[in-house]
Amino acid sequence: MLEVNGVRTHYQLLPARDAGQGEPPVVVFVHGLGYDSLASFYLTLCPPVAAAGMTALAYDLRAHGRTDRPASGYRVGDFVDDLRELLDRLDLRRPVHLVGNSFGGTVAFSFAARHPERVAGIVSIEAEPATEAWAEKMGRTLGNVLDEIAKEEYLAWVTRTFGAHHARLARAAHALIAATSIVTDVPSGPLLSTADLDSITCPVLSILGDQGFQSDDPLAVERLLPDCRTEVIEGQNHSVLVERHRTVRAMVLEFVASLSQRAAA
Amino acid sequence: MSTIQPQTMAPTRDAVLDDLRGMLAMVLDQYGADVVELSEITEDTLFHDDLGLESIDLVAVGALLAERYGEHVNLAAHLAELDLDEVIGMRIGLLVDFVVARTGH
Repeated sequence: MLEVNGVRTHYQLLPARDAGQGEPPVVVFVHGLGYDSLASFYLTLCPPVAAAGMTALAYDLRAHGRTDRPASGYRVGDFVDDLRELLDRLDLRRPVHLVGNSFGGTVAFSFAARHPERVAGIVSIEAEPATEAWAEKMGRTLGNVLDEIAKEEYLAWVTRTFGAHHARLARAAHALIAATSIVTDVPSGPLLSTADLDSITCPVLSILGDQGFQSDDPLAVERLLPDCRTEVIEGQNHSVLVERHRTVRAMVLEFVASLSQRAAA
Repeated sequence: MSTIQPQTMAPTRDAVLDDLRGMLAMVLDQYGADVVELSEITEDTLFHDDLGLESIDLVAVGALLAERYGEHVNLAAHLAELDLDEVIGMRIGLLVDFVVARTGH
């Protein structure tokens, strides 16, 4: 636990195993919004990344997992500030690789726009930068969640369709929404301008499910950014990370290794 | 928060289950959950559906296991090799299997 911008923050740092000469690459995992936590990464990608000779850092965003839940402070910019402060506190000042799932990818893009010198590369999983189109979609989604999730018939439907486990997750998400300003804060950005997007010059790998949140236009993120490539996983919805973690793992390891070689050359 | 003592000899299956009961009690305790009788936790108890715990709690149990048995008992690395359904349907008995296999029985 570390105090980050006044919020007690839970993180897990896995040191690189058998790192060769020099400082090992650092891979920072940023999870998604709602009922997500660092567990989505810690129990899937962190161990193999550390075994491959990279330092793996995963943390719980404010109000998620084991991190404290302040009543307000949920704009994208607040999450960017938290990430910078966490890296500073852990003395990780060299450029890091950011792997962001869903909203975690949005945080990664905004972090890279604000602190380009601190980012070596981004793997974005079912995520997009904080543009106006994103804010509109996000505002709509969060509004629907707010309307639906409190209803007992919704929870009954979730239980019937996905099981008791998911119904419990939905209840937890509702508690988060009820206790904080997250619904109004998140879509307020600050949003990225065209110039901001152009400043994200690091290599980006955008991993999507063909039935995920960007199925209507899978190359939209690639078009927005200077150096982005897209991988689409067939037969997969938004839950790319947890349902296809072996595929994602291979892509992340290959991406970070290729950038590290390029940096060393 | 931890009162876990390091274990040096290879533990029996029953001893591992007992250790796990204590660790689960610590994890449940922080939720103020008073719903589970420790003696009712068996190898057939389901981590998520019976105990109402989440994957973030598996991270906590993993840390307690490493503290007790050593870093080579790496639950996260073990779970990273499983599919999502297997993690969501995790039985306590499978955690016992894992510890026993890693500690040399």
